[in-house]
Amino acid sequence: MDTFSGLLHGFSVAFQPANLFWCFVGCFLGTIVGILPGLGPAATIAMLLPLTFQMDPSGGIIMLCGIYYGAKYGGSTTSILLNMPGEASSVVSCLDGYQMARKGRAGAALGIAAIASFIAGTVGVVALTVVAPPIAAFALSFSSPEYFALMCLGLSLVVLLTGPSLVKGLLSLLIGLWLASIGTDLFTAQSRFTFGRSELLGGIEFMIVAIGVFALSEVLASIENREQTRLLPVPRGLRNLLPSWEELKACRFAFLNGSVVGFIVGVLPGAGSAIASFISYGVEKAVSRHPEKFGTGVPEGLAAPEGANNADTGGALVPLLTLGIPGGGTTAILLSALVFWGIKPGPLMITESPDIFWGLVASMYIGNVVLLILNLPLVPLFAQILRIPVYVLFPLIFGIAIVGAYSTSGQIFDVALLAIFGLLGYLMVKFGFPTAPLILGFVLGDPMERALRQSLMMSQGDFLPMLSRPLAAGMLCLAVLILLVPFLGQINRWRVRAITETV
Amino acid sequence: MLKFTLLGSALALLLQVPLAPAMAEFKPTRPIEIVVHGGPGSGNDLFARSIIAIVEQEKLAPVRMQVANKPGGGSTTASAYLASKKGDPHTIGVFTNIWLTDPLLQEEANNPLTSMTPIARMLVEPALLVVKADSPYKSLQDLINAAKEKPGQIKQSGGSITARENIIRQLIAGATGARWSFISFPSGGERLAALLGGHVDLMILEPGEANEQIRSGKLRVLAQVAETRLETFKDAPTLREAGVSIPNVPQTRGIVAPPAVSEDSAKYYEDLMARVVKTEAWKKYLETNFFDGSFANSKDTREFLVSYQDDIRGYLKESGAKVVR
Repeated sequence: MDTFSGLLHGFSVAFQPANLFWCFVGCFLGTIVGILPGLGPAATIAMLLPLTFQMDPSGGIIMLCGIYYGAKYGGSTTSILLNMPGEASSVVSCLDGYQMARKGRAGAALGIAAIASFIAGTVGVVALTVVAPPIAAFALSFSSPEYFALMCLGLSLVVLLTGPSLVKGLLSLLIGLWLASIGTDLFTAQSRFTFGRSELLGGIEFMIVAIGVFALSEVLASIENREQTRLLPVPRGLRNLLPSWEELKACRFAFLNGSVVGFIVGVLPGAGSAIASFISYGVEKAVSRHPEKFGTGVPEGLAAPEGANNADTGGALVPLLTLGIPGGGTTAILLSALVFWGIKPGPLMITESPDIFWGLVASMYIGNVVLLILNLPLVPLFAQILRIPVYVLFPLIFGIAIVGAYSTSGQIFDVALLAIFGLLGYLMVKFGFPTAPLILGFVLGDPMERALRQSLMMSQGDFLPMLSRPLAAGMLCLAVLILLVPFLGQINRWRVRAITETV
Repeated sequence: MLKFTLLGSALALLLQVPLAPAMAEFKPTRPIEIVVHGGPGSGNDLFARSIIAIVEQEKLAPVRMQVANKPGGGSTTASAYLASKKGDPHTIGVFTNIWLTDPLLQEEANNPLTSMTPIARMLVEPALLVVKADSPYKSLQDLINAAKEKPGQIKQSGGSITARENIIRQLIAGATGARWSFISFPSGGERLAALLGGHVDLMILEPGEANEQIRSGKLRVLAQVAETRLETFKDAPTLREAGVSIPNVPQTRGIVAPPAVSEDSAKYYEDLMARVVKTEAWKKYLETNFFDGSFANSKDTREFLVSYQDDIRGYLKESGAKVVR
């Protein structure tokens, strides 16, 4: 069966009323799960798994996948409105999304997030349909040196995420890298920086750091500024609730960038959508004509990462469905679900279970449309949340944050950690330290260290393979170039000053 | 009947009469919690959920059972939680080898498996030693010879150094003198991707993880880590048949209760599990996952765990890990 007839067959499966219904249910549940911090798609799918065993396999997998990509749509809602990422993948959406909301463009930001998610999500599925086998081979060619170079490239983005002071940005990054090293070391089974606490043996949960450093610190800073009765302005009128034509036009490249970066990073097992969204944000800023405005609420700064984390879904399904390799926690659960139904994801799946494979792929086209229809009308509704007076909203945010932190692990210790990170974030904001580099370091620290040690173990201590492998070398060069960007600016300023002084 | 029981319990509660001594035999009266150390969807989580599905389908227990996921620090969070439920007859836990190794290696992990009340060993997981289909190593002997020629050059992908795949590597090295390097990856997916991409040379993994790759001709089995050959891979020799005699290092899964639970309740769960393993659904579960159902009762499980802990301590010491207990 070639791709086209396969897809046609898939639509005939996906358009069956029962499957359409399950697709809708999955997308709806996913949106809710995405909005609630702490409750992630992985846990939801695992909880619903036993219920789906009575279902027809195609309906079941269509619904479970709907939860997976639906959660990516919903995750940005609280990022934009409350500076609180609903999922790990939407942490970068806080940077410009929340600033847009602060400028009274909350509705527009939610609209852009939905549109970016739709475009990139669909591009991701198209790519999954068309190039799955060759791109899977590309993913396998990625070895530890390439991963290390990719993570270095990601870390070099720190220069694009810092404010006026590069030193403060680097310090923030180092704190993030240190936090990532807490826990049991995979290679030696020794514990690092656990201070004798067994709760720290598994490392610190990403969501706790993100919610503490972003959302709680924001609330603390707002409380200090007592005059405000409302968190953010919410202008009335429909026009202010939807993105303007100019804003959408500004996002043209971001939609494309997010789609491509998200899909490619998504294909790599073990990279993850948070990394995809960081990289696409960096790319967007690097090519922008006004990079200095990033972080103050530019629509493309939201569209790129939000697109990337949705295109990531299509990418992550490539190794899962064509190789039987799950790249992350959620795809691992989808794999167990498929195995439970007696379907065998792997090289033979397309030929042995065409109904499931093509039915699922086709349902994702439908699901993305469903999510757009589901999410756009919710935009005005969600934007109203900001009308809630602060004396109700702030305790509510604290409540959601605490429940979110507790539900990730079920340990009260994690709530204490949340408080510590809230305070840390507050102090950082107060003393002018950017918080985004800390999150960047925390996301990339662990995979970078691992990839470096794996590379060196593979080459028996030789650094050369990192430079002799073309892809790895290319990415490392790019990282160095990006690191030089601030110095180029410095040199340029000297040059300008020198010229003006002589004139 | 139900009405009378309910009435009886209500009366008993009202009068504060202790129920337990009056009852000859333990019966759970509220939902049973099964503690697992993995997150939702992990192997142990699915193991626990499969048991629950069977218990509910066959109506083996009068109450509901639910999974309590306590991930973090390998098994330490889960074992600490289970230990905190000391004497509670409504909590049980799923153990695997990591419950033995964590307390041996980590100062912070101070609830060893041997301090719990063993209920049953439910299954033993065999493993396969595989290479890529286009690998020059056609047999285990090829691999061993090549490893002897160029020590440390051949690479194996796996998880933590405390995992079974590394212990087996150490034991093979000890028995044959063939040394290769072990490279840790956090997830099974990444380990397999490294092998399929040709970045490492071999892997020791569960048959369930490898079966699709073997079936589609992308991986080749050089040896089985099992006492006898598995039906599905009957062409591949066991390690012993391939000429490598090393002690058996079983990867086990079973059920434990918290420390100091009453004998009655331990007996109840032992019987419950004995009934679970007799069902058709359980046999099917073992079959789809290529597990070996070597059930052991409470007494045998205790003996097994105590002696196996000593074995593992020895292996870990040999492999150069810092053993703290």
